[in-house]
Order: sequence, then C-alpha cells, then structure tokens
Amino acid sequence: MSAGAGIYLSSTGSYPRIGDSPDLQILRRTIAALDHGDRTTADLLDAENEVTRRAIEEQVRAGLDLITDGQIRWYDPISHLAGKLENIQIKGLIRFFDTNTYFRQPVFAGPPLRKGPLLAGDYNFARNALGHVPTPAGKAGKLAIKPVLTGPYTLAKFSLSEYSGNGAAGAFAALEPRAQAYAEILAIEMDALAKAGAELIQVDEPAVIKYPGDWAVFENSLAPLIQARNKVIAEGRRLELALYVYFHDCAPLYEKLVALPVDIVGLDFTYNAKLAEMIASAGSPLPLALGLVDGRNTRLEEIAAVARQIERVLPKIKGGRAYLGTSCGLEYLPRDRALAKLELLAKIRAALKG
Amino acid sequence: MSREKLERLGLKLPLFPTTSVGSFPKPDYLAKARAEFSKGHIAEQELRELERRATAFWIETQEKLGLDVLVDGEMYRGDMVAYFAERLPGFTQGGLVRSYGNRYYHKPVISGEVKWSGPVTVDWWKYAQGLTKKPVKGMLTGAYTIMDWSFNEFYADRRAAALALAGVIRQEVEALIAAGCKIIQIDEPALSVRPEELPIAMEAMEFTTKGLGAYFVTHACYGAFEDIYPAMLDLAVDNFDLEMSNSDLDLLELFRRHPFTKDISFGVVDVHAHATESAEAVRKRVEQALTIIPKERVWVDPDCGLKTRTVEEAIEKLRVCVTAARAFRH
Repeated sequence: MSAGAGIYLSSTGSYPRIGDSPDLQILRRTIAALDHGDRTTADLLDAENEVTRRAIEEQVRAGLDLITDGQIRWYDPISHLAGKLENIQIKGLIRFFDTNTYFRQPVFAGPPLRKGPLLAGDYNFARNALGHVPTPAGKAGKLAIKPVLTGPYTLAKFSLSEYSGNGAAGAFAALEPRAQAYAEILAIEMDALAKAGAELIQVDEPAVIKYPGDWAVFENSLAPLIQARNKVIAEGRRLELALYVYFHDCAPLYEKLVALPVDIVGLDFTYNAKLAEMIASAGSPLPLALGLVDGRNTRLEEIAAVARQIERVLPKIKGGRAYLGTSCGLEYLPRDRALAKLELLAKIRAALKG
Repeated sequence: MSREKLERLGLKLPLFPTTSVGSFPKPDYLAKARAEFSKGHIAEQELRELERRATAFWIETQEKLGLDVLVDGEMYRGDMVAYFAERLPGFTQGGLVRSYGNRYYHKPVISGEVKWSGPVTVDWWKYAQGLTKKPVKGMLTGAYTIMDWSFNEFYADRRAAALALAGVIRQEVEALIAAGCKIIQIDEPALSVRPEELPIAMEAMEFTTKGLGAYFVTHACYGAFEDIYPAMLDLAVDNFDLEMSNSDLDLLELFRRHPFTKDISFGVVDVHAHATESAEAVRKRVEQALTIIPKERVWVDPDCGLKTRTVEEAIEKLRVCVTAARAFRH
C-alpha cells in the first residue's frame, strides 16, 4: 500500500471473536464442543477461519486501510506466541495490565526454540481472505494485512524461568536473556512474514511504558528486530516496523520512543488528555499511529473533537503521515461497539479539514 | 485498634477469628436451576427457593465447621459486578466480552446517572443472619471496582463515575447497618490495577464508609500490591482481606519493610488448587504472619472466594482454616 503523506485508517490488532447473535458464537460453541469431545481440531480450525474472515470483512467494510486478522486464534497476547516455542511451558493465569482479562504465563524450561512459523501461516490465510472481500470503490491495491507480534521485551516481562540445567543454571532468570531469546526468534519470524509478503509489521511493547526502568532491556531487545528489517530492505524488499505502546501513559517516554530506529510509533491517547497537545508542541520525526479512539470504552468519541486533535498534530509529524486507529485492540469491546468504533475512524477522517 | 471497635459493636470474637471471603460453590441442583431459569424453563420463585435452600446449607455447614464470622455464600449471585449493575438504575447490560479462554460475560454499561432505588443485598443478609447467632458479613462490591469493570458512557471521567457509585454503595451500607449488620465487606479486587488511580479508589471508599458504624473489611486479590503499598493502608476500612498463599506469602516481605497497620484476614489456603493444604502447612503460614503482624490483628480465611471449588473441596479448605486458627488460640 502507499506510504505517502496522509491519514491512513489502521486496525490496532485484536477484534471481538464473539457477538450476541447465534451466528457470531460459532467459535465459542466449537471450543466448548471440542472440550466435550464432540468436535475435532479440524472443526476448530474451520471456526477460527470463519470468524477471521468475518473480522477482516468488517474492517474492510468500515473503511480501514491496514487490516489485521483480528488475532482471533490467539488465546492471549503472551502465550499465543510463547506457547509455540520449544522449551516454553504455559502455566497459570495472570491479569493482563488493567484490563480485567488474563493471560497464561510462559515459563522457560530451557532455551526457547522456534519449531516453525509463528504467524506466517495465519498471515497467508488473512491475505487470501482479504482477496475474497469485495474491495470498496477507490481502494483497489490500497488495502493490506498487517501482522501483529507481541514484542520480545513484553513477552519476557511476563515470563518466568524454571530452567536450571546443563551448567547454565538460571540462564533465563534475568529479564535481559529472556528478552534476547525472544528477540532472536521474533527476528526470524519477521523475515518469514516479509517473505510471505508483509510490508508493515506491528510489534506491541505495552510493558515498556508501564515499566520505564526496563528501557535498556527493551531497547536491546529491539535491536535484532531492527536488524531483521534492515536485512529485508537490503535484499530489495519493503518492510516497515511499527512499534505500538498502550495501556499506560506514554508521555514520559515519548521523546525516547520517537527517537528509536523504527518506522512508525503507535500511541495510546486515553491515559493522558494532554498527549495530543504535547505532540503538537514537540513534533515527531516519525510517522505516528494515533490511538485517539478509545478501544476500551463503548462511548463513541465526538467526531469533530478528534478531528481537531489530528489537525493539530499532523502538521508536526515529519512527512505528514499518520495512522488513525483505536488506542488498543478491540477485543475488549462488544462486537457491535467494536464495529462502531471502526466506522467512527472513517467518519473522523472524512471530517478532517484540508 | 479494630478489636476494640468490634467490642464496641458488641462483637466478642476469639483471637484468630475465622471467616471466608464470600462465595461458595453452588450445589449441583442450584447450578442446574440457574441454567434452567436463564432459558426460561423454571419460574423465578422456584429458583429463589433453591437459592434459600443452598444458603441455609452453607450457613449450617459453616456453623458445624466452627467458623466465627459467616457469609451467605452468594448463592444468588453470578458475577460480583454484574449482580449490582443489574439492580442499580443507570446501568444497562452490555454485549459479550471475553474474560479469558472461552469465557465471556456481559460487561455492564453505565449509561445514565447511577442511583440506589432500594436495598440490593439486605434481604439476603437478613435471611442468612436469621439462620445463625454468629455474625454474618454484609457483602458488597466497591465503587472503584464496579467502575473499573464497567463501560462508562455517562460520567465525564473515571473519578466521577467512581464517586457516583460510592454514593450508591454507601446507601446500601447504611441499609445493611439499619438491618443490624455489623461487619461489612466491600470488595475491591481492582484496587491495584492502576496504581496511579489509588487516590480515586481511596476517595471512593472514604465516601462509602465515613462515619458509619460498622467494622469494614475489603478484599483484594491477585494484584500488584507492591505498587500501592503502603499507601493502600490508608483505605477507609478496618481489615484487609488478602490473598497470601497463592503468591507464597510474598506480601510479607512488603510488610517487613513497612509495618502492616490494620487488621488482616490472612489467606491461608489457595482457592485455585484442588488439593487442600495440610494442617501443618497452614499452621506454618499463620506462624509466618505472626512474625510480622500482632496476633490481635490476624484473622484466618482462604485466599479468595471458593466458588470455583467443589462443595467437598470448599468444606475441607474451610476446615483446615478453622483447625489452624484454633491451634493458635491455646
């Protein structure tokens, strides 16, 4: 898709996997039936595919430019990736930030190993599904699937280690080696996604703004991902890395975030009412993803108020490129409200002056 | 000293009072009846009768086990926030959202001014208290947690919503006190999720309990207490009911660094484990508590509500709490 100046509408990641009507409960019913031995894993895959297709279709219908697969197959943002690695065990439930949702905690039982693609298969499915959705007028060739990875630092922050063998006792007890181990694996995954056709990959690192004392660990863990992106570009392909942070006030780290060697920085505006003002004053050397629409509350924002914020911020963004989206993935909202929030994005863009 | 407050309220409790956090497992007949009721297959009256029967079972069970401060077991509740939201004007039922795995719930929406239109829990408290001479706790969910676990479409911000809810919960507290309730637990499991909002949670609790004549307990669990301790000690309650065992008593380390200045309901059994801890293991946990907290301030109970356990598991976990507490009284 084009990467020129302008406002692009972008999904921030997840999408509700259930709705109130029976036809929107296919995944829930299939999982329940699978648990009772009345369905197979093939049935589960079918249900996931169906719900993923609908999530993509709704994003396209709402007018988005950058679309995700809705992370419909993800159990949670942590264990979905970590659980696919050898030597990682998935243990008990822990609250995910302040969301009143839970993730299962990964525990290192040895050096983690990538056994195969983590998301490349899902990405291929989503691209194919997007190809089957009727393209809205004027959007031909302008829509893209954006894969989303939870970043190595956040994965490491929410993991533990019980590894104590082979003379490397406690090798992953510290945060840094856990983050580096994840980073090396995710760098390989980025390359696989780029080979599959991804030109923009979102890496979520929400934990870093909640735990700013870990900045050095975070920054070091980003390096292999940057190298992976640079390698793809050196090979003549296109790839941008979008770093997203949310679930906390990002203002204290704003200057450091936009100084990172990434291509786009995604920000959650819901924790600081003065963030837009701050950015309008400080400017940004990078394109920004503006999470101005609350992905955690059902109330619909005033279109004009959000549009005015964008008008203040956009001229201060180098290159004049920004991505309008929700503050976080939408799985925290009921489905009808999630769709309404996506539709709101298009209305806000239409209300922009100039 | 809160023990003096208890005595002023006419409550003579032994050292190491035993209690539980609130919920108990619903017997099979009640779980089935709730499912039937939700499908419209049985009448509300029939369901209520079964809820009363189950409540009576748990009151009798707690008495037989020898617990000192009883709960009604919440046989009539599903979710601790939705129960109140469904009964307070100003809320509407939201669509389904995911909690984790394949579990979904209808997250409430604050869509208008929240109001108290009459007692929500008082009849259940009266019923349960009428079955026993031992004190039964009033069981409420705190304003901050109700706010945090709801969508807010009406109030300007989270503080405004929390304070409006605090006014509502205060009226319920007043109604419980008027009915004769002397120990009231106001659960705030969301207390630590946004450390920067602790002042809002504290303001709301102050508004809820200030000047009211009861012994107040709050329950919080599975949170990042290291981020809000010791500031949380200023919450306007007498007793913190805390999950201690699931986290291997690691909160004690915080208490070593800064004294725990209130009464504590010390969770001595993990409610997420099927197996009941041995009496010896529980005794050691109480012993460790006593290295930090004076015995006059220690209550003994499970980590959290027992509703996810089987009836048999819940009874055994309560039994071991009582056994351990009694051993320390001698």
